Amino acid sequence: MRSTEPEFAAGTGRPTKSNVVIIGNGALGLFLADELIERQVGSVVVVGPSHRDTGASQAAGAMLGCFGETTTESLRTDAARTRFELGVSAHDKWPETLRRLKEFAPSDQPLQTATESHIILNSIGAELDTVNFAAMLDALDQYDKPWKEIAPDDIPGYNPRTESRALRAVHLPTEGAVDARGVLASLERQLRDRGAILLNQTVRKLIGSEEEVTAVELDDGHLIEAGTVVVAAGVHSESLVRTVFDVPELMPIFPGLGFAMIAKRTGGEPFTSVVRTPNRGFACGLHVVPQGGGLEYYGATNRLVQTISSTTWMADVRFLAQYSMQQLDERVASHEIMKWCSGNRPVTLDGFPLVGWMPLAGLYLMTGTYRDGFHCAPLLAEHVANELQGKSGIIDPLFQPMRKPVATRTVEWSIDEYVQHSLAGWFETGAQAAPQMTTSQLGDYYRNMAVRAYEQLGADYALGPDILLYAQGNLNGARRIARYLRTIRGEVAQAARSSTGGAW
Amino acid sequence: MAVSQPSVADTVRRLVAVQLNLNGSGHELRSDEDLWRLGMTSLTCLGLMLSIEDTLQIEFPEEALQDSTFRCINTISAAVNSSLKQVPRIAGEKRLQPRS
Repeated sequence: MRSTEPEFAAGTGRPTKSNVVIIGNGALGLFLADELIERQVGSVVVVGPSHRDTGASQAAGAMLGCFGETTTESLRTDAARTRFELGVSAHDKWPETLRRLKEFAPSDQPLQTATESHIILNSIGAELDTVNFAAMLDALDQYDKPWKEIAPDDIPGYNPRTESRALRAVHLPTEGAVDARGVLASLERQLRDRGAILLNQTVRKLIGSEEEVTAVELDDGHLIEAGTVVVAAGVHSESLVRTVFDVPELMPIFPGLGFAMIAKRTGGEPFTSVVRTPNRGFACGLHVVPQGGGLEYYGATNRLVQTISSTTWMADVRFLAQYSMQQLDERVASHEIMKWCSGNRPVTLDGFPLVGWMPLAGLYLMTGTYRDGFHCAPLLAEHVANELQGKSGIIDPLFQPMRKPVATRTVEWSIDEYVQHSLAGWFETGAQAAPQMTTSQLGDYYRNMAVRAYEQLGADYALGPDILLYAQGNLNGARRIARYLRTIRGEVAQAARSSTGGAW
Repeated sequence: MAVSQPSVADTVRRLVAVQLNLNGSGHELRSDEDLWRLGMTSLTCLGLMLSIEDTLQIEFPEEALQDSTFRCINTISAAVNSSLKQVPRIAGEKRLQPRS
């Protein structure tokens, strides 16, 4: 990559030419810009709206945890283990990352707001919690990470309703959290200080030919020529790529709309660590993350939707408020809400990231990180910077963006997973069944739904539980899924028979 | 002798009957009969939508993908006819011409 100074349009101060244009000013885009500036690869322009309204990063809880997120699926297949180890490697990069950002922090509050986590196992989330809790302990041992079982009552700040109290709790002394919004602000300050150009705009389309991408066009028609365009625009990435490369083989990305809230504690003992349940019920589990200054972040919901928005569903507000009070601290009821956080996680059809060069020269894709984007951003930035410079990457090539969907389960396994997640959601939300109806019968109901969904979709690729749920309730989403799977059907049939997983 | 093509409504009726298991039931499906009241679920609606698009080689516009479109044979046929006026789903594909 040849180093040049950016060129500017006369009188506007806006660049017309840059070595690299990064579309997206979330954690992935900013950390990549930071890495490229550090390596002095040339001029770097980052384009993205400063409000980041629909982005995942600005709404993130930003837990620096990979083991706290462990599920039974995390290490079951080679592909899932590869992704899991991305998080393990990323974790090691955060101490140095935070040290470098410290001088650019927007306030005196430390960017790292917690240095440890407590994972609780309560009886609200059904069997899924139990098996994921066990999987977490197994993973901690496999990777020789420290943990200790403690009495739930000993967790600072933890004060649930009696009926929702935890039965077990584990202390993870090395998994904390950062202030996501503070980290983004620090990165912006650092980038400006070091000569990067941050444009508070959005990109309308990519410009190029059938062979290459040469520029981006902003919403107001302004063009910026680029040696390389990196699309790191989260859930917007797919539609942006399709403005210049609209092929049916491009894997769909769905908005995983999530809701969280930042509240000011008004009484009681504050939380001093991340306190969370295991991942459960199609989502990332209930959690509280200290934010500093008497603030606490409560999250988070996950709902795959058709339309990207920054809206919040009333059902999600109810869900989060009620269960934070019941399962974390009953004093939450009198907390003062300071900020509503709503963002869209980029969820690929197979649940794995899309990171790599596209078939068009000069176009690189970096998205699909679902819940791991913030945590993995420093590591992915190093990897992508290497690839942009023509060096070897540091992550597995499994995540190439034009791959066939990664297969990690059979259809039968997928249906079982769906049943477990549905039951978890059923019990956590306090749904009522007739007294004579057993859990097994409830499971049969969900199983029949899932079987029928596969029949209607004509799918032989095994979907994750969140995607399967989405397909059942959204005609547009189901159509996207069905058409994409038909496009790649031949390769997937082979993959579904594998028990070890892999890219196909 | 020319073979007459089935109308859009006939094709929709046939596909509805398959999805709702009405064949052999003796039920005479009226064109304005509410399919949701006949037991259509979100999943049968999904299958119906895909089968209509596949059979008639059309693509419903996104705004048509809602429960009200699939309320009855008349509403579905109207959405299909509207889609038939759009560009065919597959380039070069022959359009199916609805009978009036």
